[in-house]
Amino acid sequence: MSARRLLAVLLGLAAVSACASAPGEDAAAGSATARITVQLKADPEEAAVYRSLATAYQAAGGGEIELVTVGRKDHLTRLSTAFASGDAPDVFLINYREYAPFVQRGAVRPIGPLLKQEGLDTADYYEQPLSAFTYDGALQCMPQNISSLVVYWNRALFAKAGLPAPKAGWSWDEFVRTAQALTADGVKGVGIDPSITRMAPFIWSKGGAIVDDGKAPTRTTLHEPGARAALQAVVDLIATGATPSKDQLASQGLEEQFMTGKLAMFMSSRVEVPALREQRGLDFDVAALPVMGTPASVLHSDAYCVASSSKNTKAAAKFIAYAVGQQGQTVTALGGRTVPSLRSVATSPAFLSPARPPASSQVFLDAIAHLRHTPVTPSWPEVEDVIGTQLQRAFEDGVPLDEVLAEIQKQADPLLRRR
Amino acid sequence: MIALSLVFLAPLVVMVLGSLQRPLQPPPDGLDLWPDPAEWSNYLAVPRFMPLAWLLLNSLLLVVVAVPVTVVVTSMAGLAIVTARGRLRRGLIGVSVFMLLVPAAALWVPRVVLLRGVGLADTPLTVALLALAGTTPFYVLLFALAYSRIPVSLLEAATLEGLSPYAVWRRVALPLGRPAAVAVAALSTLYYWSTFMDPLTLVSSPGNWPVALGLRRLSEMEAALYPIYLAGAVIVTAPALLAFAIGQRSFFASVERS
Repeated sequence: MSARRLLAVLLGLAAVSACASAPGEDAAAGSATARITVQLKADPEEAAVYRSLATAYQAAGGGEIELVTVGRKDHLTRLSTAFASGDAPDVFLINYREYAPFVQRGAVRPIGPLLKQEGLDTADYYEQPLSAFTYDGALQCMPQNISSLVVYWNRALFAKAGLPAPKAGWSWDEFVRTAQALTADGVKGVGIDPSITRMAPFIWSKGGAIVDDGKAPTRTTLHEPGARAALQAVVDLIATGATPSKDQLASQGLEEQFMTGKLAMFMSSRVEVPALREQRGLDFDVAALPVMGTPASVLHSDAYCVASSSKNTKAAAKFIAYAVGQQGQTVTALGGRTVPSLRSVATSPAFLSPARPPASSQVFLDAIAHLRHTPVTPSWPEVEDVIGTQLQRAFEDGVPLDEVLAEIQKQADPLLRRR
Repeated sequence: MIALSLVFLAPLVVMVLGSLQRPLQPPPDGLDLWPDPAEWSNYLAVPRFMPLAWLLLNSLLLVVVAVPVTVVVTSMAGLAIVTARGRLRRGLIGVSVFMLLVPAAALWVPRVVLLRGVGLADTPLTVALLALAGTTPFYVLLFALAYSRIPVSLLEAATLEGLSPYAVWRRVALPLGRPAAVAVAALSTLYYWSTFMDPLTLVSSPGNWPVALGLRRLSEMEAALYPIYLAGAVIVTAPALLAFAIGQRSFFASVERS
């Protein structure tokens, strides 16, 4: 049973307790400086960034914050158990690909009105993450970051192969040629994760789609011409031998292979930056994704949500307004892991300073113009698992693409219709 | 035999060697080589990433309370199975086996709801409450197996002599089932020392978490800081190894005597 299947089961139980405490007009708002619990997924270093955020908040006159920082693997398990048992945190930080089940079961209090009272104007923020966190016609959670998919590339290996720096708007064919030119003894050109989040920008770039209707999806459309052509192009790239072999992937993740110079390029979001900065002697930068048709990238974003069971909505809203405000966003931007969702901080030196790698952080902001997001629907986490498992068969085990696409339809479509 | 134990020792050796590597290096290819020079400062860096002393104290408290309770509860339950007759006995064994089949994940939510209801969902000893239910039916069956080797006539004679059920357990069964008691104590110590899923789902405040959960969070450390995570792993593993080293003599002695 995958963690996400389990999540679905647990949230089913959560529905009972959430309905019992559905927010009413007279819901207790509590004092503005009440002690609140904030749960977020963070590795130990990230946790330190959030601790300094909590400290700065208290110094600015805020109340006490109990931070529950949970590992990446345990965040959803703990969150869903806590909701099911009525022991939910006041505030939690969650990815837009995973929040829909919580909203559907009444576990989230829509955040729009709460932040209005705090005097926060959403017009100061990028609209793509705001739209991803809008569900049932209301802003449910407040986006903390707006990351996108980029190409991380190793400057030293590019120089050694005599290649120029990747340019914005480079074509898929240039990308394939570059990957092949970089592939030499002991080095592979590019690493590609078999996941729908990684493939989405290419599918959109080719004019394809993942599902029939982004707002209310009823079936997957990966087998249709546009999407299929994009996936076929990736399969063809893998066939050239410019990507790590199955054994290499089994022994080390793409990130580690990139750190040790065994991989010249890989695609990921901003999340890799702190770890790559720590590698002494690694000279890396970021570049825009290659284009198959029109430029496209995919949104990566987390937001702060207020639990519907929280008795301290006033304190929760006050903290969130601070965390996504000028000071809070600057603290998290300096940590290196996030692209600020507040425009004024995203364009400030706190984020763009070339003093710390990657020098071309502007690439993340340039991608915003053509950012799109995967569908927001309660069964999406499970659909994502299904597609990932099948793509892995096509990319790593050489299973014919059409066989895999048929399997995705068979398994994922019923999940979407189940709602 | 020695070669076989070396195979099992290998991960421990790798862990110790890895904890002495220099941090902020690219991740190694395959296994780490001999560290040069050994970075003992990694051990001092661990408390920067988790409140080590506090979490170790929580874990120690947990083991000291939960293990004796587990041994008492499961040995009583084991004796109850052995002294039951016919259909009742088969029923009790059936229930124990059935409970073993229930996946742990199915119990998370009911457990939290139950503990919150009685106001015990957020203490360092919350996880120790599982000991009141014997931790796992496997230990009960282990005791039942051990006690089933005691001649029935002996237990019956003790009852005829006017011993209460408690005295039969305390003065006849427990001394004769000593190897099982030592085995259950050893197994449950390891369980409570290393469990992280129970506290993750049961205990609300990070301040009441045991050290195993702290270590699990540390395992997601950036690759460059892996030596510090391994240093943490050595610190958390050491007490368990030490306890085994001290306990093994009495463990093997009691097994040989039986």
